[in-house]
Amino acid sequence: MKLNGTKKDKIMKEVDETKAPFSSNNIRLSGREWIIAAIICFGLLFFGPELWGHLEKFNPGVDYRLPYELGNDYWLYGRYCRWACSKYDTLVVGDSVVWGHYVSSDNTLSHYLNQNAGKECFANLGVDGFHPAALGGLLRYYGRNISSKKVIIQCNPLWMTSAKHDLQTDKEFHFNHPKLVPQFFPRIPCYKDPFSKRFSAAIQRYVSFFGWSSHLQIVYFENLDLPNWTLENPYENPISAVTLEFPSPNDDLEENFPWTEKGITQENFQWVELAQSLQWRFFRQTINLLRTRNNTVFVVVGPFNEHMLKPESYNTYQRMKSEIETWLRQNNVAYCIPSVLPSELYRDASHPLGQGYSMLAKQLFENQSFKSTILNASGD
Amino acid sequence: MAASYFFYACFNPLYLILIGYSTLVDYTVVAIMAKSPRRKMWLSVSIVNNIGLLGFFKYAGFITENINALLSSLNVSYAIPEPGFILPIGISFYVFQSMSYTIDYYRGRMDREKSLIAYAAFVSLFPRLVAGPIERARNLLPQLHKTPKVTTQDVTDGLSLFIVGLFKKVALADYLALYVDNIYTAPEQYQSPALVLATFLFCWQIYFDFSGYTDMARGIARIMGMNLMLNFNNPYLATGLGDFWARWHISLSSWFKDYVYIPLGGNRKGTLVTYRNMFLTMVISGLWHGAAWTFVIWGAVHAIGRFVTRELERTAFYREKVPKLVKQLLVFVFVTFAWIFFRAESIGDAWVIIMRIFSSGWANPYCPVLALILVFVVWLYQFMYESRLRWIFNLVPVRIGIVVGMILYLAIFAPSSEQGFIYLQF
Repeated sequence: MKLNGTKKDKIMKEVDETKAPFSSNNIRLSGREWIIAAIICFGLLFFGPELWGHLEKFNPGVDYRLPYELGNDYWLYGRYCRWACSKYDTLVVGDSVVWGHYVSSDNTLSHYLNQNAGKECFANLGVDGFHPAALGGLLRYYGRNISSKKVIIQCNPLWMTSAKHDLQTDKEFHFNHPKLVPQFFPRIPCYKDPFSKRFSAAIQRYVSFFGWSSHLQIVYFENLDLPNWTLENPYENPISAVTLEFPSPNDDLEENFPWTEKGITQENFQWVELAQSLQWRFFRQTINLLRTRNNTVFVVVGPFNEHMLKPESYNTYQRMKSEIETWLRQNNVAYCIPSVLPSELYRDASHPLGQGYSMLAKQLFENQSFKSTILNASGD
Repeated sequence: MAASYFFYACFNPLYLILIGYSTLVDYTVVAIMAKSPRRKMWLSVSIVNNIGLLGFFKYAGFITENINALLSSLNVSYAIPEPGFILPIGISFYVFQSMSYTIDYYRGRMDREKSLIAYAAFVSLFPRLVAGPIERARNLLPQLHKTPKVTTQDVTDGLSLFIVGLFKKVALADYLALYVDNIYTAPEQYQSPALVLATFLFCWQIYFDFSGYTDMARGIARIMGMNLMLNFNNPYLATGLGDFWARWHISLSSWFKDYVYIPLGGNRKGTLVTYRNMFLTMVISGLWHGAAWTFVIWGAVHAIGRFVTRELERTAFYREKVPKLVKQLLVFVFVTFAWIFFRAESIGDAWVIIMRIFSSGWANPYCPVLALILVFVVWLYQFMYESRLRWIFNLVPVRIGIVVGMILYLAIFAPSSEQGFIYLQF
């Protein structure tokens, strides 16, 4: 059936009459207005975090380390890196072993290194839970200021004690700091976040505004986004929560007695082969990254609690240690493999207690490579 | 068409079979109708096929459940096995859209679409595929025939629509959902203030959620050079229930008006028949939203509301003496009350909520003040938009300021949790 002209005209007129209005609100910008809006937004996106840095005072003191609860605040880590690079000769980076999980801030490795040096020249840039894959991302994207410095980086074999620690399980495993690991390549078998999340994580690294907005959440909103924070604090004014003051570093320590007193027994770790280890691969990449930025890199392997290893596991670990040493030597990376500390100075498989850190620092100061790489280079 | 089919296949590739089947049947039916003298029979084939599809995929579980309940109450030990399939996303929307084409063709309101590709694109156009608006063939098909001419204004208008929609969904609807979901999941644990506030916030959540989706869909279509119809027009400023339905989900209400209410006789056959028609239309509309008795009751409650406001509007006192604001608030309170049935998990829950609103204590509701402030700001904006103060929003700095504010709010404060669109389940 074909519509005749009059009827068609009538219907088309009807369509025109019922033609929808643009919208039910007045938010309709022209091209020029969109450009103005975009300029304002981009201006705030790029200069906002910078301006905020001036508004929010950040003055770390002696033996400073990022408070435990700010471990996810990568934007603040970047600020801390900038500050540490301007004040210290040597930066000590690594996971909770460097950070000092079971000890107060004046019992950490960097504290005892400073004590041995007789001056404040070692900064504690360790962060809790930073396995090599995450540490690599942290230094690559948020530690860009670390260049032409001396860097002590700790290699913690704990991350190779099982396929799970090494992020190699095919089953999804929620590990620490997924936003910092490579999102697409190399593929991390246990990392199953959807494409949208990975893409967003990849973008966030390059736009400091996003790091800054999560800094606000972490520091002022109990690590929650604003809507969830208001659910927890329904009658609080969010603006008054932004006090511009950082939480004080909390030394509320967990029990700090030796592993044997905690009822921990010897273990037979299912070590990952070094050649196949993802974490070792990421660690090597981090060393290369630091070196390409003209840093002098010094690697501390361990100190791992070898007392905790059953004989079979012990033998595998020794073999692995020697493979690590071979690679470091072949690649001209200065290193130290400190001798194992007394059993009672370990809290668990990898964390020393305060006295352990003191002993470790002494060992480093007696190490020739350390002297030539870290101490002599600065004339100490 | 290819892009739309790809988009739909991303949810589940099997859905393509269904949308392809529905498209082919209606396209073929109209092609036959063009040459056949038995037009009415072919129209029936199309309607039965579409309703059958919807009934099978959307209501089979509901029907089975009710038959089993009936059998059980009659002490019959036999139970029909529950169908195990999932409701295909968007089926209610594209089936209605496709059906409107065959009915309009039958009524002589439009020409036959000769191109199968254009027709398939009309049924599946991706911005509106999964949650509307339910477009009429006579509005959309001509646009699909033209080579899209995308002007700068199309792009800027599309962006404007999109950003408002995104803000409504992410910053507002998803925020309100955090509070509403907590309360409605276990209403028996909450007292009157929390239940009232959760219902109030749900009223806005569903508006922001659905109109946000529509705004984004319209925005994307606009950027591609196409105009989709307005689906929401500040519904909470309605002064009557009829007015509400002329502002809420406009594409669906006008569909029901054109293809159900008017064919039933509309208001041409006396008051009683008019109310019967209204009642049936509203109940069917309720059932369209979901296969549950709560939706049927929601539709029935709205039907009753329409009777009442229609009668009130016939009195000079209500028309002339009652201030507009009072009418708006009355309609808002009524609509909000009706949402209880829409949102509650079951009739039992809805009953618990209503009873507890009127009979429980006054425990602290712990409702975020910020959420209420945001809602009131939007409400105020809408009141101003429909008042003489509208000129304020025509000022360039105000409009730019609002857009910048929305973008920054989304970037800094948006909730990190992801919530699906409510209307995707329909």
